[in-house]
Amino acid sequence: MCEDCCPDMEQTLFYILAAVTVVATVFAISEKHPVHAIVYLVTSFFALAALFYLLAAPLIAMFEVIIYAGAIMVLFMFVIMMLDLGHPENSARPGFWQWLPALLLAGATLVALGILMSNRISIPDKAAVVSIRDVAVMLFQKYGVAIEIISMQLLFAAVGAFYLGRRGKQ
Amino acid sequence: MMATDFWIALPLLLLAVGALVTLVVGAISRNDSSGYIIAIISALGAACCTLQAPPVGMVSTLGLSSTSTVRLFTSLFCLMAAAVLVLSKEYNKHGGNRGEEYPATILFTAFGMAALASATSLLTLFLGLEAMTFGFYILVASDLKREASVETGLKYLLIGALSSAFLAFGIALIYSVSGSLAITQAMQTTLAGSSVNPVAVAGWCFLLFGMAFKLSLVPAHLWTPDVYDGTPAPVTAFLSGGSKGASLLFLLILLPQAADAGMLRLPFWWFALLSMLIGNLSALRENRIRRLLAYSSIAHMGYVALALVAGSFSGYQAAAYYAVAYGVISLAAFGAIAVMERNGCGATLDDYRGRGARNPFASGVLTLALFALAGIPPTAGFTGKFLIFAATLKSGEMTLAIIGMLTVAVSIYYYLRVISALYFNTSEQTHQDQCTIGEVVVLSIASASVVLLGLFPARLLALLTFP
Repeated sequence: MCEDCCPDMEQTLFYILAAVTVVATVFAISEKHPVHAIVYLVTSFFALAALFYLLAAPLIAMFEVIIYAGAIMVLFMFVIMMLDLGHPENSARPGFWQWLPALLLAGATLVALGILMSNRISIPDKAAVVSIRDVAVMLFQKYGVAIEIISMQLLFAAVGAFYLGRRGKQ
Repeated sequence: MMATDFWIALPLLLLAVGALVTLVVGAISRNDSSGYIIAIISALGAACCTLQAPPVGMVSTLGLSSTSTVRLFTSLFCLMAAAVLVLSKEYNKHGGNRGEEYPATILFTAFGMAALASATSLLTLFLGLEAMTFGFYILVASDLKREASVETGLKYLLIGALSSAFLAFGIALIYSVSGSLAITQAMQTTLAGSSVNPVAVAGWCFLLFGMAFKLSLVPAHLWTPDVYDGTPAPVTAFLSGGSKGASLLFLLILLPQAADAGMLRLPFWWFALLSMLIGNLSALRENRIRRLLAYSSIAHMGYVALALVAGSFSGYQAAAYYAVAYGVISLAAFGAIAVMERNGCGATLDDYRGRGARNPFASGVLTLALFALAGIPPTAGFTGKFLIFAATLKSGEMTLAIIGMLTVAVSIYYYLRVISALYFNTSEQTHQDQCTIGEVVVLSIASASVVLLGLFPARLLALLTFP
């Protein structure tokens, strides 16, 4: 992507962004106050978007910001405010036994990652830039049927919510 | 879009447009039956379209296949949707469940199944399965009058979401190894047989575990009895016959494309063994009829896993035959239960005592379906089990085949318990139950198919071809 900047700088940027993503995600999980947790999650999404940009995928970076950091976070905020969940003093932190499965899974994932890295699976060093046009052609020609199925699915998500929401009001 | 594309996509289009028209008409007219009639007509129309062969020689650009197996399963799903709609019309009217969303959702579920059946890429395959599951999330909780149906719906939703996550992750790993979403290429690279890629193995583990949830194979079976017990009976017929059939088709689209599916022999071996044992043994002590049939469903998926252990052409053919046969048999069984429940029958075996005299038609259909599930000739259940055990013995899995036959013998006991409750316990005669013409037609066709499929399996087997 950045042909004008030196590879060292790209690598440095990558490590900074990766650290921000991991730290922000850990805080998003461990933070008691839901609104603070959401702010940390947004930070993590922004760092992730920048990472995608470094990987020569500007479109995914844009989607990450618009859809995740934008739309979905706003939805989370709405739900938290509607259900009035902003009282963290009433909730208890999960105990050790509730953390244990997550820790075990994280350990297993790290070990698997270590094994994969030690096998040195080659990663292509230069990826071609994918334009919006390429994505659109791929999406609506090759996977046109998939788009139709997803749109039907979204329609019926609304229909189902409407139908099941009538419970008790008939 | 060429004429061939249109021809191949026509059943899908009919189902989708039918669902939309049902919604629109329901919004205009206050009469529920118009929605049901439109939905039934579009499902039947889609089934008729698939029966005609598309013009050969031209290649579709949509990425949808239309082999004889695909068309057979698509028409089966459409016909099943039409049958379930006919049964639901009376059942929901009696239960006081109104709304055009219900028939539209049934059509949407059939749309998902049909999309799955004709998929040639992993993406369409997964989305078809998801669309079907999505429809069932709504249908399972559709009984608005009962509080318990919320619980059932939530249980199914959580399990369904979990299994979809497993599936999506497995497909992603398989894609990362093969670099292609096209099924043929993905299967050739990840199930190559000679060199085993660890990432591909991880992907297949996730995929198989996700499918075990959908097929309710042990150890991912615990949701089945609760969901079967809490859903409206016509939906249970669709869930048991349609969703199991579609999930099996999912595996039958993938596995025959593999260069060497030997890697999957071991997981299927354990799935088959545990499902046959635990399904049949749990059903022995069960007193609620729908839970009994749910455990029997787990056992039957175990038999199908047995056919997949064989991994040969005849094994896949037997599994596909069993998917069709089990679909028709569950339609007959749960259809008959729907008719009886509409006439005020309860859920336990005691409530079924003496029903043979009160409702001879529905009891007869239920008895035939139970005989078929028990594998008594000349029904489709017998022929299916025969094909499965023949394929397994041919592939050399002697131990597992013998255990399977023993569990089939054990299962006859609990099926006969239901039949003896129906006929050999005469209660005081009150009045005769009523059946509508639609119910009689649907149940008659289903029962006739159970017998005809069992007597003449060759015609069906000729249509079930795998590469």
